[in-house]
Amino acid sequence: MTTTFRLLGATALTLIAAAASAQTEIRFTHSMTSGGNAAAMDAIVAAFEEANPDITVRQITFDDDVYSDTGLITQLQSNEVPDIYFQWAGFPLARDVEAGYAMNLSEAMADGWADTFIDSAFSSGAGTTVDGDIYMVPLSLDVTNTIWYNTAILEEYDLEAPETWDEFLTVIGTLAEAGETPIVTGNNELWPLGNWASHVAARVVPMADFDAAFRQEKTFADAGFRRPLELMQELHEAGAFNRDMQGLGADPAMAAFFQEAAVMHPIGSWLVGSAGEMAEEGFAYSQFDTPVIDDAAEAPRSAIGTLTGLVVHAQSANPDAAITFLEFLSSPEMQTIWAEGGALSPVAGVEAEIDPQLQAMSDLLANADAMVPPPDTTYPVPVAEAYYQAAAYAASGEKTAEGALTWLDETVAAMGQQ
Amino acid sequence: MWSATERRRPVEWLQFGLGALIVAAMFYPTVWMVLSAFKSNREIFRDPFGLPDEWRWSNFSEAWAQGGLGGLYVNSMIVTLVAVTLAVGCATAAAFAFSRLEFPGRRWLYRLLLIGLLLPPPVVAIPLFGILRDLGLLNTLWALILPGAAWSLSLTVFVMYGYFNSVRPDMEEAALLEGASTWQIFRDISVPMVWPSMLTMAIVNTINIWNELMFALLFITDDDKRTLPVGLIRFFGRYSTDYAMVFAALTITTVPILALYFLLQRHVIAGLSSTAMD
Amino acid sequence: MSEVEGKRLATGRINLLFALPALTLFGLFVLLPIGSSVWFAFTKWNGFTTPEAVGFDNFRRAFRDTVHLWSYVNVTLYILGTLVLEVMFGLVIAVLLNSDRFGFGLMRGMFFSPMILSMTAAGVLWTFVLDYRLGLLNAVLESVGREEWTRPWLSESATALIAIMVVSGWRFAGFYMIIFFAALRRIPRNIYEAATLDGAGPVRQFFTITLPLLRASMMTCILLAVTGGFAGFDLFFTLTNGGPFNATEVPATWIIRQGFDNNQLGYATALTVILAVVVLAVALLFLRISERVNVVRY
Repeated sequence: MTTTFRLLGATALTLIAAAASAQTEIRFTHSMTSGGNAAAMDAIVAAFEEANPDITVRQITFDDDVYSDTGLITQLQSNEVPDIYFQWAGFPLARDVEAGYAMNLSEAMADGWADTFIDSAFSSGAGTTVDGDIYMVPLSLDVTNTIWYNTAILEEYDLEAPETWDEFLTVIGTLAEAGETPIVTGNNELWPLGNWASHVAARVVPMADFDAAFRQEKTFADAGFRRPLELMQELHEAGAFNRDMQGLGADPAMAAFFQEAAVMHPIGSWLVGSAGEMAEEGFAYSQFDTPVIDDAAEAPRSAIGTLTGLVVHAQSANPDAAITFLEFLSSPEMQTIWAEGGALSPVAGVEAEIDPQLQAMSDLLANADAMVPPPDTTYPVPVAEAYYQAAAYAASGEKTAEGALTWLDETVAAMGQQ
Repeated sequence: MWSATERRRPVEWLQFGLGALIVAAMFYPTVWMVLSAFKSNREIFRDPFGLPDEWRWSNFSEAWAQGGLGGLYVNSMIVTLVAVTLAVGCATAAAFAFSRLEFPGRRWLYRLLLIGLLLPPPVVAIPLFGILRDLGLLNTLWALILPGAAWSLSLTVFVMYGYFNSVRPDMEEAALLEGASTWQIFRDISVPMVWPSMLTMAIVNTINIWNELMFALLFITDDDKRTLPVGLIRFFGRYSTDYAMVFAALTITTVPILALYFLLQRHVIAGLSSTAMD
Repeated sequence: MSEVEGKRLATGRINLLFALPALTLFGLFVLLPIGSSVWFAFTKWNGFTTPEAVGFDNFRRAFRDTVHLWSYVNVTLYILGTLVLEVMFGLVIAVLLNSDRFGFGLMRGMFFSPMILSMTAAGVLWTFVLDYRLGLLNAVLESVGREEWTRPWLSESATALIAIMVVSGWRFAGFYMIIFFAALRRIPRNIYEAATLDGAGPVRQFFTITLPLLRASMMTCILLAVTGGFAGFDLFFTLTNGGPFNATEVPATWIIRQGFDNNQLGYATALTVILAVVVLAVALLFLRISERVNVVRY
């Protein structure tokens, strides 16, 4: 029975393949569906197809959550693998390499291509390499979290962007007292607040302990995670968050920020790309990085960020065409288009007329005293998710910091070594 | 039985009034969805309960174009049509065999088939994913059609078997005496005989498969092979602030199947009443 | 079920051919996945790399996983809720709408209509009704001066599951109504007429005639509600996806989250095996009880 079906399936595939053989088609799957980024990618693909008439690029897109939950895994294992796919540097890429999905690009990038990127793009901490070999062409630098705010409302209350945690709490207190929602976050998927809470943790927990806890080598209590959870509880007690935080999605929360239903919104640099289609004309906003919590900490002014990039599938039918496209994509001209669409280019010396907000992101990264990667792309996902949930417990008042910490260590212990 | 033309007694008016009240409350969200589809986004928030100031038919053409609903519609129709035909066809033949014919393992196989009534589809999502991959069906419409039909079989066979058993096999036996083959009896006598029940199950399965979400979410990745429920989820994600668009898209996708049910509901109830659903 | 156990039209192995297409489909896409998956339950597997055998680790973990254990409490509460809001409500409406008068057919159709909407449509519709900031429900409460009653319905552990039960009742009551209505149609009118002559009112007629005669349909409906409750995934997925804080986590949502969000397919399969065993046990227990009920009464 199985054999018959296999044969049937194979025949159907051959027929499909034969119909499309006149042209080389590269299948390119990613999750860049929002305004500026999507338009820029479309423009780059169009330019490429014009320059290479015998190659067409077929984009297969998903929304973020679907892409990372099921979209990518389904495709990587299907019979028609994508030639190029979008991936986060770090843990996801390393897992793909181990499973044999990612192609080694060291040789292809050896003749100067790799040197066109910023210095840190292929450093050991960047997560684009495994055992010294390059597996990813970096595409964007993402600031995973910063705090966006509505400048008009802040001015209305004579407030300024805070520089220390205490000032931050004062700002929140003033706004809450005036009946505003100080911070809106849509945390039903747990990562929006979780990423921020991880950044807060990295500001107060020594890096070695932070790392040990997420690798399950130390309990979160021993590593010193009580403090960041207490900070989340402080925010809750100051009335910082929207009441429907735990039921709200990430996108509706961003919409609420643009609709002036809240003053601040902690989320990543991709907000800039969505502002075009979601914000009303004349909506004025800016951002500040998480205020300094403890000046004596290891990296009191760290930023949380990550690299994303494109991977060539190891079983790609057209690896050469795929590499041709990626090289074209990394050229300064194309990176200018890409940056103007609302992304931070990892290619060195790209001079684009970028959005001032994006320039600020770029400065934020340049001025940071350390770069912290988000736990859900660095460590085993279940452990990261458990911390995210503990942070949500403390930030919503569902549990005290103490209770959340106990819950966290029990949950992580129950899941076994990941 | 009370005749439909006789004047209603007070208790019947009470029954009618109470019924109408509850039904109106149940039906209101659907009406509200359709009315909102005609409004502008601003109007939905300003005046959520009123009639639209202006009936904006353009919302529908815009939603249709922006959401690529045409393609989604075609996929949903293909999947539903093929899967329902497959399920009802296979189930009728199986029910015929189980109730009219004798073969080794008859009772045992019938009971095995009913296991499907007890298990939720999410139970098999992960292994089914692997099987579809091995068959090379992942990311094709077959990945929705074949599991969709298979998971409809248990209920369909259960109902059809009951229906066969409620009808005496006199005509089939007469045909047998005249020398008809089993296949001819099935095709010319049995199928026309159980037709009402087949129609009922076709409608029930159409509703289920048309709305199927989980398999569609997991097994299809290409945009051009998606079905309506998944397409709508994505549409909602992208237009999360434009409720007028969302309601227009929902209305376009819901009204046809709603109309189909209203047209055919008499048959559904007739099919169920004559069937041993108990 | 009355079975016409007469002479069979034909005997012999060849007749299996009629059942073969159904059995093949069923075997390939229902039985085979269940059977073939059991092995993964004993492995650690992220879906990408090769599975690694770990014995009973996943099962041990499952019994220490508090969210997993609570998901059975949640699904039990949900099923109890559906018995009232779907089965009971459906029965009452079936009796109420049992008339040949003009308009009743249309009303039955309208009562059934939520069943026809896709779960996506129902989810979007109700998200809009229940939304904290812009939702219809809170707007209504505010307009009648009950601002203190407004709350983020789907964001608070105390109300999220109840909200889901209400939406579920709205959606599925029509289905049970139709089953009860079809059964009501088979009760001969003269039984009621005789009871009326004896002076029994409508309420007494309901309890002494209708309810006993619907016992078999009732059992079918309860069985469908219980097994359907375990199978319920779409509604939870579209409304809360298990949140807030796992307050609406049911086995199906937890399995999907472990398997596809957290890439722990081995563990998710172990949870699946446990769910299958629980549902089968409940269904068998239920069938045993319903047989006994029938034996005692007849």
